[in-house]
Amino acid sequence: MFTIDIRPDKLSEEMLDYSRKLGQGMDNLINAGPIDTGVSPREVVYAEDKLVLYRYTTPEGVTPRPVPLLIVYALVNRPYMTDIQENRSTIKGLLATGQDVYLIDWGYPDQADRSLTLDDYINGYIDRCVDHIRETHGVDKINVLGICQGGAFSLCYTSLHAGKVQNLVTMVTPVDFQTPDNLLSAWVQHIDIDLAVDTMGNIPGELLNWTFLSLKPFSLTGQKYVNMVDVLGDQDQLKNFLRMEKWIFDSPDQAGETFRQFIKGFYQNNAFINGGFKIGGQEVALKNVTCPILNIYALQDHLVPPDASRALKGRTGSADYTELAFPGGHIGIYVSGKAQKEVTPAIGNWLNDRS
Amino acid sequence: MTDAGAFTNDWMELQRKYWEGWTALGRQAGNTEAALTNPWEAALDHWWKAVSPGTPDLSRDFMTKIMDQGKSFFAMADGFTKNLAGMPGSGSAATDGWGALTKTLEDMQKTFTSGFQQDGNEASRRIAGFWEMPYDNWQRMMSSMSLMPGDVLRNMPHNKVKDGLNQALSAPGLGYTREEQSQYQDLIRRGIEYQKALQEYLHFFSDLGAKSVARMRSFIETRDKPIDSARALYDSWVTCCEEVYAEEVKTPDYARVSGQLVNAQMAVKQRMAIMVDEALGGMNMPTRSELRTLQDRLQETRREYKALRREVEMLKRELGTAAPRPALVNVSSQAAAPKAAVAPAVTPKPAAPRRAPVARKTTPKAPTKK
Repeated sequence: MFTIDIRPDKLSEEMLDYSRKLGQGMDNLINAGPIDTGVSPREVVYAEDKLVLYRYTTPEGVTPRPVPLLIVYALVNRPYMTDIQENRSTIKGLLATGQDVYLIDWGYPDQADRSLTLDDYINGYIDRCVDHIRETHGVDKINVLGICQGGAFSLCYTSLHAGKVQNLVTMVTPVDFQTPDNLLSAWVQHIDIDLAVDTMGNIPGELLNWTFLSLKPFSLTGQKYVNMVDVLGDQDQLKNFLRMEKWIFDSPDQAGETFRQFIKGFYQNNAFINGGFKIGGQEVALKNVTCPILNIYALQDHLVPPDASRALKGRTGSADYTELAFPGGHIGIYVSGKAQKEVTPAIGNWLNDRS
Repeated sequence: MTDAGAFTNDWMELQRKYWEGWTALGRQAGNTEAALTNPWEAALDHWWKAVSPGTPDLSRDFMTKIMDQGKSFFAMADGFTKNLAGMPGSGSAATDGWGALTKTLEDMQKTFTSGFQQDGNEASRRIAGFWEMPYDNWQRMMSSMSLMPGDVLRNMPHNKVKDGLNQALSAPGLGYTREEQSQYQDLIRRGIEYQKALQEYLHFFSDLGAKSVARMRSFIETRDKPIDSARALYDSWVTCCEEVYAEEVKTPDYARVSGQLVNAQMAVKQRMAIMVDEALGGMNMPTRSELRTLQDRLQETRREYKALRREVEMLKRELGTAAPRPALVNVSSQAAAPKAAVAPAVTPKPAAPRRAPVARKTTPKAPTKK
């Protein structure tokens, strides 16, 4: 059987339809207006250098739980992904479950931030944010939710400051950085990180974009825009698409010394698994993480493969370890409709049972 | 608001005429010269050239991206259907589906194996051009990190002159400017290394193009359900390319080739930065190297300052001269402090001195290097 059956008239019709959508989409695109991100009301409660700590407003009718929750996002890309739009907001979902939510926004490092180290980020910035929250609420410990690289930072932080973390949630967090299906890790093994950092100072966001797009170049830089024509006619869907587009390419530069330490320590030397990695003179050891842990990973994650996250199991000192597998990708775990229904309530319930 | 309706009206009128002509051509199944060019792509181009000057910059960039991909999509549809009997421009050679498909796939194979240089079927070359996407991404990234557009180092001669040049570049510099000569020699050497790495990277992809054609053939052969739309055909091609790509880029060979490319690029930039620094120094202007020294020292000072501030706060608390810290409470018996509803946009508070409930080691640390 010959399996291409495209008749000339049908082809013409299809092409005309595509062209029509493109023409109509142009109107919508021009009138799309500014692309807004971040929908939940919040206030700035602490700022230091380029870091800003936000506290989100608890919705009316919800009583906040006594132990606040700090979200630690990655240095890569921007944290507004967690609150990207009204019906796709992890933060909104967490607030609804009674979490008193704080979020660290790292800002956009420039060359003056080039010599910031992991010690500055983890024992400095994160620790001062945690102390601020603890004092505000008059509590010894708070809950921490780390996302992607922010999850790795959260593990490091909890290992070094176990007395300040009540519960730890890790989302799409790499733990074993050298699983066979980890493409990013395979690629980075041959890169001379010292040369790159010594040359560039900070690592440009564009270089990271290129790396991420190279994971699936045909889908991410080609097919996506062909498919986009289908949503051009709908102003709301178009705005959603443009928000995601903005987020994907909104890549801050990476502070050089931190990038050097993180890539060499974790991607090249697999610090959590092999041990021996020190931050601020103290060794990071997963066994020091004794608080309850909820480890969430995405089954179709092409950036942090499930096995990279699952490696946390059995490696910590926690007697209360829970895993949650989400049938989606690295981004879908925050923004998909399914995630809003499943992941966020699960985090809230898990925390509420332990706070 | 823009009078954007004009775009749609012009567009639809143009399209209507275009498709009327195209469909008529399809009915005749003729072999006109006009049908040999991709009509959809040409229509898109024509329209876009007419309306793009009037569009805002942001929309224009974005729309150009969509147009480029739309053209790829149209080229794909054109390439795969051109030789099918009944399609305009199919020619007398195309008598059955398999024959036409085989011809298309063979044309694509030829395009890949000839490195896109061969005079052949234009449509096949356009489909094969899909595999230039990874390099295009690289080029855009290079461009964003440089004052020059695109990858300026791509076309520097390297293969033919490499050996002779290497020999010449090995000659020691002489006289008063020997250091400068040596810098330039090193820059050229690094430029050659970059091109070598780039050629290897591009070669890697040309092999993949040929493999993805084979994958597409096998995909079509083993399929039960017919592909009945251009979009489904395009999606199948993307899937095949992505599958082949995924299999190959996880190999150690690709990791080596791509790592080499990034390293070679950095090596060139490093040498250029040193030379720029020397030029700036010569003009008695601050250099990047000096700025970095200052940044390092400043960061170290800030680290010490923050640690000392923390220590002072602790001492004050111990001496009772600081405001009393709120008593720690049993978290299960007291609700958190109430929050005021505040609009999202507020001015950040300055970083007020903070009390440190838990002491940390305050010994200043040297910045971590390599």
